Amino acid sequence: MPAEPLNYPFSAVFGMEAAKDAIRCAVCSPGVRTVLIRGPSGTAKTVLCRSLTDLSGKRMVNIPAGADTERLFGSVDIEKFLDTGKLCLEKGLLAEADGGFAFVDDINLMDERTAVAVMDAVITGRIMTERDGISSVQAADIVLVATMNPDEREMSDHLLDRFDVCVCVSPEEGQDARKEVLSRRMAFEDSASEFRKSYSEEAEKERAGIEYASKIIPLVQVSDELRLIISELCAKVGAEGVRGDIAVLNTAKALAALDRRDTVTRSDVERAAAMCLVHRRRYDAEPPEPPEPPEDQQDEDDQEEPPDDQNDDQEEPPEPPEDRQDQEEKDQDEGTDSLPRLDDMMFEIGRQFRVIDYLGKGKAPKASGSRNGRRSECESAGAYGRQVSSRIPDGKTDDIAFGATMRAAALCQKGRERGSMRIVVEDQDLREKVRRVRNGCTVMFLVDASGSIGARRRMSAVKGAVLSMLKDSYVKRDKVGLMVFRRRTAEVILPPTRSVEYGYKLLEDIPTCGRTPLSAALVTAGEYMTSYSRSHPGERCFIVLMTDGRSNVASEEGADPNEEARRIADSMRIPGTQWIVVNTGNGFRLFDSASELAAHLEALYFDLEQLDADALAASVRSAARFG
Amino acid sequence: MSRGSVVFPFVDIVGQEDMKRALILNVVDPGIGGVLLKGEKGTAKSTSVRSLGGVLPCRMAVKGCRFRCDPSDPDRMCEACRANLGSLQTEEVPMEVVELPLGATEDRVAGTIDIEHALKTGEKRFEPGVLARANGNLLYIDEVNLLDDHIVDMLLDSAAMGVNYVEREGISFSHPSRFVLVGTMNPEEGDLRPQLLDRFGLSVDIKGERDPKVRAEIVRRRLEFDDSPEAYVKARSEETEALRSRIAEASRRLRSVRLGPEVLDAVVTVTSHFGIDGHRADIVMMKAARANAAFEGRDSVTAEDITAVAETVLSHRLRRRPFEDSSIDREELEKCLQNL
Repeated sequence: MPAEPLNYPFSAVFGMEAAKDAIRCAVCSPGVRTVLIRGPSGTAKTVLCRSLTDLSGKRMVNIPAGADTERLFGSVDIEKFLDTGKLCLEKGLLAEADGGFAFVDDINLMDERTAVAVMDAVITGRIMTERDGISSVQAADIVLVATMNPDEREMSDHLLDRFDVCVCVSPEEGQDARKEVLSRRMAFEDSASEFRKSYSEEAEKERAGIEYASKIIPLVQVSDELRLIISELCAKVGAEGVRGDIAVLNTAKALAALDRRDTVTRSDVERAAAMCLVHRRRYDAEPPEPPEPPEDQQDEDDQEEPPDDQNDDQEEPPEPPEDRQDQEEKDQDEGTDSLPRLDDMMFEIGRQFRVIDYLGKGKAPKASGSRNGRRSECESAGAYGRQVSSRIPDGKTDDIAFGATMRAAALCQKGRERGSMRIVVEDQDLREKVRRVRNGCTVMFLVDASGSIGARRRMSAVKGAVLSMLKDSYVKRDKVGLMVFRRRTAEVILPPTRSVEYGYKLLEDIPTCGRTPLSAALVTAGEYMTSYSRSHPGERCFIVLMTDGRSNVASEEGADPNEEARRIADSMRIPGTQWIVVNTGNGFRLFDSASELAAHLEALYFDLEQLDADALAASVRSAARFG
Repeated sequence: MSRGSVVFPFVDIVGQEDMKRALILNVVDPGIGGVLLKGEKGTAKSTSVRSLGGVLPCRMAVKGCRFRCDPSDPDRMCEACRANLGSLQTEEVPMEVVELPLGATEDRVAGTIDIEHALKTGEKRFEPGVLARANGNLLYIDEVNLLDDHIVDMLLDSAAMGVNYVEREGISFSHPSRFVLVGTMNPEEGDLRPQLLDRFGLSVDIKGERDPKVRAEIVRRRLEFDDSPEAYVKARSEETEALRSRIAEASRRLRSVRLGPEVLDAVVTVTSHFGIDGHRADIVMMKAARANAAFEGRDSVTAEDITAVAETVLSHRLRRRPFEDSSIDREELEKCLQNL
């Protein structure tokens, strides 16, 4: 095993109760398999996850975000093959984690398709390997714990949904808490082993609690009332599918068991919902007003209780009679006014969501925000980007995947003249690396800075929008640039950049004056972006043309300016680049030349009701995302 | 800048006291987490980092170990060293500045399969990369803001645990990789990713010298150095040696510097006053103040030490809007520290 320093003890992690509960649930319950801890840097996410080995004797396998598919899922064991001639599977990381934990730090930095494959293996409990003459399916019992920092990059909804539990953490506030965190940390660094000793008693208690919980989980009862409530909650937050329902149910049971109870209470469900539904809620879908008819919901709920779920409690032996009676009485109590109670609960959970949003400083996942993960990755053409796997090259390659090449060669050594080499590589063995790069997009604003009415307002809105987009550009890896056109020409004011400071300096003072040379602007922008997209292959580019569409300067002497602009627009095709036309000619829409121009450019088109920076930035963002 | 292998002597760099101090503190206590130098071109950022190599102290390492494991810290040793824990031989090695060039590929950074060995013998063996050489040393990245995304991911991963995990190309290997991360950047060329920014313990905003007299002095020394680098360095060897032993002495004394509860109070008061989120700032400030006290030859941390390091600890962590001045108000700071 690798050289790893002693862990910071689980019990010494200050605060972070929800995250600790999530880890405890994952350790004790077979129904909680995937846990995500999200939060900004310096909140002890990683420390907490690594300390989970304190809670159980099982091993933890570290999966670096840069692991490639052959190491994750296993591949042919070359050394064995050369020695014995037998094709054997060399276990991958997931197989090593079987029966224990897999830990992925910064899972949002992992190649997204790889992350999905890893999570599917964990959820289905099967590791499939199909490569280099190996075809194997192994059963695996893995609990996956992961962290992410949302400042860096958001994950897509379909990846998030695969997490049973997702807990947001934030740094402790208040001086006393901070002092405590600091002094514990310094004591730990002074002497890790002494520090661990001073927490050994608490660690023992923690372990005992979890062990007890894992024994009684199969006996924990959930009333039908609460089951119904769980499903209604999930419907109300707009969670797709039933993963959420199952997760809340299993988590609530685990929480009850950790509290040494054999019956799930309302408060267990509340806590579980806050842990399992925050990352599943949809902001766009308003919760439905009337509750669903209870019968349907009930049926659905029962059906969705999956037969392969590890602990289907309905077949469990009944509780001792006394408990049962108490439970029924309680149920009746709750049953009498289940609707108001549900509303209560929605309120309570809504409150917790708000707290979490607040803690996340407004960076909680938004439906539109999180989808951009999908567009931001593509296969790289050159030898840059992260290697994810290997393939047989199409023709020659400079980017050789050594491991894969060696395996391919080793499997075909029969009949080759080897000399002193153990493996002889021939052309047909060569494999090349498959790399993926994360790309943002480049948005070039092309703005009418002629001296017409509203030019100033337009410019200030554009500047605001450019800055607003730059401010979050490093999260989305986007670049923003600005070209303006006035008098007879168009010029690049701000080359595409991610730097706020640089952008700000160049945007400070742009004079508006002169006439509207639309044709010249189209030509210049076209040339600029063509060469730009050639030097930035794989990057998606957008040109946001802000104009009222009325040109009054033609490039050719004597030509009709508007006619000329449309003609140029027709022939304008820039590789990898999408036009967006924003009509800024508010007021007179009698001759809507902007939308006509948009049609000629095959552009996305929108009007701005009110020309302000935030609205513009938001519209461009959404157009760029879904266009 | 260096010509051949001779670097400009660290002790002769004019001005830039904050930068020099930040670099020294990281050598005294590598646990501070590195330093980010931000500034325009031609402000002696790179010169200073390379010059630092001349005053780095020696450290103990396991003889023959590829990762030069620290013999006093079995928890963090590589597998081979831990297997031979009883019979390790040690040697003194100089601490170095290891450079990570911008265009480096991931296999060269993290290490990869030794292909020659594999073809000859059919065995898979790990060939170490830059992160292996960086263990126990300074890892220097010029223009760190231009580094490829996936290389940054790798750095973040190693920096988090002090271990480099390689799980690619059929190789499964891990080795210790604890380094002091030193980066330089020109902010006009783009921002640093937030997670990487937070990993830097300290950051220094570097301004070019405006005073003509100072500039003339810089140029004079530079030309004299370029004229005859060896002689120039030799002439400063006494001062250099003095600084090196002061640094070495400070790192020896580091653990014995007293960190009383009043220091804890003061640190947290300062960070909360300036509205800093996250606990890394608290921890870094504590360590940096302690290193500063050790370097100044004190045996307990004083308000002076906290004042000296506060700006470099906090400036990149302030929740500021773009274009706001990111400097720390000295008066406010002193008010916070009145009670210490």
